[in-house]
Amino acid sequence: MPKTITEQNLHLLVDALLREGKRVVGPKRAGTVTLYEPLRRGEELSLDELPRRSAKETFFPVCESILSYEKREGRMTVRDVDLSRLPESVLIAARSCDAAAPGILDAVFSWDYHDEFYLERRRRTVIIGLACTTADDACFCTAVGLSPAATQGSDLFLTPLAGGGYACAVVTEKGEALLTAHAGLFAEAESIEALPPAEPAAAPLDLKRIKAWLDANFEHPFWGSIAERCAGCGACAFLCPACHCFDISDEGSETKGERRKHWDACGFGKFTNHASGHNPRDVQPQRYRNRIMHKFKYYDDKFGLTLCTGCGRCIRACPVGIDIAAVLDEINSKP
Amino acid sequence: MTNTASSIEQSVLIAPAVYEAATATIRAEAARLLSEGSVAAVIGYVPGRRAGTAMPAVVTDAEAAQQLVFSPACVNNLTLFLTKAKKEVRKKGRLAIVAKGCDLKALAGLIGESQLKREEIVVIGVVCAGVYGAAADRRAPLSSASLARKCRECSVHVPEGVDLLAGTLPELPRLDPLEAAELARLEAMTPAERWAFWKEQFSRCVRCLACRQVCPFCYCEQCLCDRNRPQAVESTPRPAGNTAWHIVRAMHLAGRCAGCAECERVCPMDIPLNLLNRKMAKELKALYGHEAGLEPKEKGPLAEYREDDDQSFIK
Repeated sequence: MPKTITEQNLHLLVDALLREGKRVVGPKRAGTVTLYEPLRRGEELSLDELPRRSAKETFFPVCESILSYEKREGRMTVRDVDLSRLPESVLIAARSCDAAAPGILDAVFSWDYHDEFYLERRRRTVIIGLACTTADDACFCTAVGLSPAATQGSDLFLTPLAGGGYACAVVTEKGEALLTAHAGLFAEAESIEALPPAEPAAAPLDLKRIKAWLDANFEHPFWGSIAERCAGCGACAFLCPACHCFDISDEGSETKGERRKHWDACGFGKFTNHASGHNPRDVQPQRYRNRIMHKFKYYDDKFGLTLCTGCGRCIRACPVGIDIAAVLDEINSKP
Repeated sequence: MTNTASSIEQSVLIAPAVYEAATATIRAEAARLLSEGSVAAVIGYVPGRRAGTAMPAVVTDAEAAQQLVFSPACVNNLTLFLTKAKKEVRKKGRLAIVAKGCDLKALAGLIGESQLKREEIVVIGVVCAGVYGAAADRRAPLSSASLARKCRECSVHVPEGVDLLAGTLPELPRLDPLEAAELARLEAMTPAERWAFWKEQFSRCVRCLACRQVCPFCYCEQCLCDRNRPQAVESTPRPAGNTAWHIVRAMHLAGRCAGCAECERVCPMDIPLNLLNRKMAKELKALYGHEAGLEPKEKGPLAEYREDDDQSFIK
């Protein structure tokens, strides 16, 4: 029989997890925006809107220290980060587009180099997904093979019910364990009436066809025409659940400081700047081309995956109105 | 927190017909300029795929000029495309640009700073009753409730000193100055309260640098915040670096900022950056009687020395 949980008990679930010492990350109001942030109590959960930034930072923080150094009496001490102290975590109420992303990112973070900072957080986190019942005209998860009710990447999955509360489906063993441990907060329903999932207007894209066009058209006037307006900021990449470029900076003084890993973006003019001064992607259209190629060709070539979950954040945030769904549509319809 | 325009007074509709009239003139003039060969490209706006959106476009032929629009969704300051930051656009040749009153101030600033010459460009001034604010429902016609905050205090609805003028001004509702009120609220705070306010705001900054990238005055080839040897500003998105970055930016723009508020509009984290710009503008006016306006000035007060400058701060 399907499991259900009331809104009230969802809050109690968060409180119970916090009492166990877990870090619980969920959508929370922060000023005028909603962000996935560590919750202090269940009541902070704010499920009305898609958070402005994706949930990727649960695993891949905006900025993290990866080592620290200190010089004392002529001796330099370098300290690694003790990853065993990372908290057990629950990412709660991640929309389908956000819940699906970490599974896609696992490939690159465990490829030739194992990024233990990311992977350790992944190992220690349970994801509770949430179906969307509304979509706007920037949403295009249905175009890239997901849907507002896709359970991909979730361990448990919540679906809002017509009479309030949520149905809770078990997707993985990790999810089952969490549900069993808190079984008292869930009820069993004979039947459920789920709210209808959102219906994004975006029609499915032929991703194979798009890839075939990208394979053959590294040089094409199209890139100039769509990306001339690109301002070269990182808003699209920073809000994206799948963009994962980072830079490493040493910051501090000569006697004390940290080595930090922090988000970077291929749209930045300096991203590919060489020490010689040469920049292989020296104009913005080439940088935008890289963004599309990386998501729909290179990642597919290497891992057989698409690096986009159709959340639409880049579309909503682009200062100059670049619309990735429209770009893909245009490529999809090219001969 | 009032980062978005809220409706204090009764919401008043702003006549959509004026935008249609401006659109018709822009299309006709752009097509004429392009077909007679007096410009290589027109920088204007075209509709976006989503309802109620528009985006910048660099149009190079008369046929494509028929796609140009002017609507409340034309929020961008297009002078960005005339700066060093957009070298590939400048290379096309002589350019025409659609400019709202607020954008015109940026144009004057860029000319004053020798970033471009007035005679190199054709300015299609557009009469503007206002554009959508961040939280506006763009499927509904523009109203006083959905108006961008900067438009509520606009002083240049009809641009002056332009080559061509598109549109006529409708009667506009009287609006309360929300931005000025918010600035007054901050000024009334104790330093500790103000610090707490900005600390909270900057804590959301992810250093996407959209604020820098859309600013017509951020045309430096080498930005201070990208330097790492020596590092002037921590480049990582942490409180220290974020605060330093936004203060450096505000200082750098003092007396130069045209008030287009693009930095605030594009901030994906809703940081009210234009409040910093406004505050600096206010200080510069009080200290030096200087204001960024429609007249190109060769030097702003922070870029020149005068015998009668206030020196009381030197101790």
